[in-house]
Amino acid sequence: MATTMKLSASLEDYLETIFHLVAEEQVARARDIAKRLKVGQSSVTGALHALAEKGLVNYAPYEVITLTPKGETAAREVVRRHEVLRDFLVKVLLVDERAADKAACEMEHAIPPPILERLIEFVEFVEVCPRGGAKWIKGFRYHCEHGNLDNCERCIASCLDDVTKKKSEAGRKAVMTVALAELSPGQKAKVERIKGRGEINKRLVDMGLTPGSVIEMGRIAPLGDPIEIKVRGYHLSLRKEEAEKVTVELL
Amino acid sequence: MANIMRVAEHQNQRKTATRSRHIDVALAGNPNSGKTTIFNNLTGARQHVGNYPGVTVEKKTGTCEHHGIKMSVVDLPGTYSLTAHSGEEMVARDYIINERPDVVVVILDASNLERNLYLATQLMEMNVRLVLALNMSDVAAARGIKFDLGLLSQLLGAPVVPTVGHRNEGTSELLHAIVSAATNEQPEHVSVSYGKELEDEIGRISDLITTSGTPLGQYPPRWLAIKLLESDQDVRKKVGSEEILGAVEQTAERLEKLFGHPLEVIIAGQRYGFISGACTEAVRSTVEARHTASDQIDAVVTNRVGGLPIFFGLMYLVFHLTFTLGDPPMGWLESLFGWLGKVIDSWWSPGSESALRSLLIDGVIGGVGGVIVFLPNILLLFVAITILEDSGYMARAAFIMDRFMHKIGLHGKSFIPMLIGFGCSVPAIMATRTIENRKDRLTTMLVVPLMSCGARLPIYALIIPAFFPHSWHGPMLWTIYVIGIILAVCSAKLLKLTLLKGQAPPFVMELPPYRLPTLKGTLIHTWERAWLYLRKAGTIILGISIILWALTNYPKKTDFGRVYSAEIAAAESAYESDPETLAAKMDEIEQAMQAEELAYTMAGRIGHAIEPLLRPMGFDWKIGTALIGAFAAKEVFVAQMGIVYAVGEADEESDPLRERLHESYTPLQAFCIMLFCLVSAPCMATVAVTKRESGSWKWALFQLGGLTTLAYVLTTVVYQVGSVFTAGAG
Repeated sequence: MATTMKLSASLEDYLETIFHLVAEEQVARARDIAKRLKVGQSSVTGALHALAEKGLVNYAPYEVITLTPKGETAAREVVRRHEVLRDFLVKVLLVDERAADKAACEMEHAIPPPILERLIEFVEFVEVCPRGGAKWIKGFRYHCEHGNLDNCERCIASCLDDVTKKKSEAGRKAVMTVALAELSPGQKAKVERIKGRGEINKRLVDMGLTPGSVIEMGRIAPLGDPIEIKVRGYHLSLRKEEAEKVTVELL
Repeated sequence: MANIMRVAEHQNQRKTATRSRHIDVALAGNPNSGKTTIFNNLTGARQHVGNYPGVTVEKKTGTCEHHGIKMSVVDLPGTYSLTAHSGEEMVARDYIINERPDVVVVILDASNLERNLYLATQLMEMNVRLVLALNMSDVAAARGIKFDLGLLSQLLGAPVVPTVGHRNEGTSELLHAIVSAATNEQPEHVSVSYGKELEDEIGRISDLITTSGTPLGQYPPRWLAIKLLESDQDVRKKVGSEEILGAVEQTAERLEKLFGHPLEVIIAGQRYGFISGACTEAVRSTVEARHTASDQIDAVVTNRVGGLPIFFGLMYLVFHLTFTLGDPPMGWLESLFGWLGKVIDSWWSPGSESALRSLLIDGVIGGVGGVIVFLPNILLLFVAITILEDSGYMARAAFIMDRFMHKIGLHGKSFIPMLIGFGCSVPAIMATRTIENRKDRLTTMLVVPLMSCGARLPIYALIIPAFFPHSWHGPMLWTIYVIGIILAVCSAKLLKLTLLKGQAPPFVMELPPYRLPTLKGTLIHTWERAWLYLRKAGTIILGISIILWALTNYPKKTDFGRVYSAEIAAAESAYESDPETLAAKMDEIEQAMQAEELAYTMAGRIGHAIEPLLRPMGFDWKIGTALIGAFAAKEVFVAQMGIVYAVGEADEESDPLRERLHESYTPLQAFCIMLFCLVSAPCMATVAVTKRESGSWKWALFQLGGLTTLAYVLTTVVYQVGSVFTAGAG
């Protein structure tokens, strides 16, 4: 998964900035990149040439800048590292957010992948484990502020409540998957699974309704049955009884 | 060893040499990808329409030439995939595997590339030389989609040629690519990778297939393995080996547990994954997707409030155009044949009893006229249908009507043919071609004659005023039409539950973007239909016409019950001074003679012979005889009744005939006549077209027999029950 290519810290910063700009505004312009990174336009041009040479961005003068699939993978990797580190600093070590962001920016270029992976696992574990979790970290804050450990009994008692709450949250998440037929026009969703088997199911996946594909509910026929959805850039019509077979996750 | 290699080399060379002289090309592509337009561009008018052997899927072939190299081109049916879903998909894949075309051209809608490439990924697995035609590249360009053609071709392992079908752009480039694909070595073969777990199993199963030596030489083992894992029923049957199927089942069970989805879903997902990968690399969208003009049209046309009125308005327009614009040319054709009859008549001396004259005028001209007279309707209707279809509206029509049609077990696409049935069953049955599912198409075809067609109207117009008070006329006519509709709905449902049972075809289909139909496409399509009708249905109709002519003319009566010549002579001398009375008297004698003649012919005798059979329905031999004539065309019933009742030339406005009918029958019998004419045997043109369109006499005869039986049972019940009531009332 990890990119085999080594990038300099500065190029990684550029990649990250382009990624954010594309996510926010669909396209990135050299001007905006310069503004965000607080550097001159000429250094941006240089960096873009270097990135284009490595096949990470689509760049031609006077055109908008987009990431190549390779570039996107690399950028995601950088962004992920940044987010993991910031999350760790903010959520576990309770460092102030802006300071955490700045520190993450510097740490992200240096941290070796195995340590990063372990850090991710740790953050996940802390967040999910009923014996860790938010309460536990709050306890750590209390400890940081008061420097004593006299709150332990109360903390343990509230653990059970936490478990129940988390279970109900999981339940609510299950409710979010609905049958495709139940969407209302304009709603977007991701295909989760096609129930059952048979010719119709095959036809549905052949037409592009594969798990993970994003769909948008369109119109309903005047008599109330077939419905129309948008999938993979085209309009597909299907009956409600066929749409019943498809469960989707609301987006 | 060296020898063998040389032989193989030699054979290879020979194969390349043959290839360079003649190339077999097959066109594959999704419905609405513009495949037919490309086919027309490639082959021009050098086309032939036939059927694939054993099935009624239409097969279009044509030829073309590029720099002296001859090619034959086959237009495969438009399909989204190559599974065993439908007849079309089976035909397409069997053709590719059995006929091994030198090059398969996949027509892709460039503005909807992802789904269009799905078919291409399946063709890649079949080890054929592919050429990809990126059609409608102008639409894609207008939407701001840019293609890196070199990269796309490299990623997909096949040359990519941009084309614009409706402007005939890129045709010679496409021909060039076909020729070089056929002669050169194919660029590096690319196929979808299904991920380690699946690939391991695909490899294992294809090895198993290779070593087991199943007699499936022409099928690539990898393709077979993938199809087996997709649980393709047809391939399972073809492979048949318990050992292999067992291995596949075990694998499938294991992998499905691992993935949490059925394997066919995983495999389709991987194909789309491969396509998305290629598209993100080689296709760039510079403009953000907006609401297209097509979406805006749909906002009106399939609107919840306006959708239905617009649909019915359009249908009315089609109907109106077909049957009113078609009316004058039909009249011209009728008079043309009338004139032709007179010309031929003039070859004989007046009053000649020549059998040849009668055969030519009443049999041949009548028959040919009967065929050609439908032509204006068919031409106009197919212009309208082609425009509706090519513009993309037909898919919306099905979308709008599907709920209603689905209730009676049919597909939304069946609605339009049934509607056309009110005009004439012949074009209606031809219009069923837009229905892809064979069982649905057959059902629609079989019940279409129950929609009371225009030719039955003269029968109702004759009978209703003769028997029923004025205020009943409208409701009576309405009742007859409604009975037809109800019977059609019930029969369709019944057929779908019994004889043509099968899973209702899914409505999972594309609503293609609206497009402007091309003149060339419309003309070619319309011409094809008209020609098919003339050539295939025409010959049958002509044959039946001649048989019917013989039945209603032979044997000739020579020995009359009355001495007509003496009566004529007597009348002539008695009314010499009064020409008007004489003329009337002469007519009367003539009519009596005709009636006697008809009774003597085969038709008359059959009428007599089946009279006991007709009794339960309240019919006598006269109605029986008229019904035999009505098989030529429903409206002939009226003329035949005129002859048997000896009232001369009769049409639906004929009051003397109404009087005679009123004297001879009760209103109940009259109603039974109308009911029987509505339901019973469709006219011979309908039977001929059903034979032609269903591909077998079996269905045509089933339609004939089924409808007649239904009519018989129904009319008998109505007559018997009705008789009890009227007897009780009387």
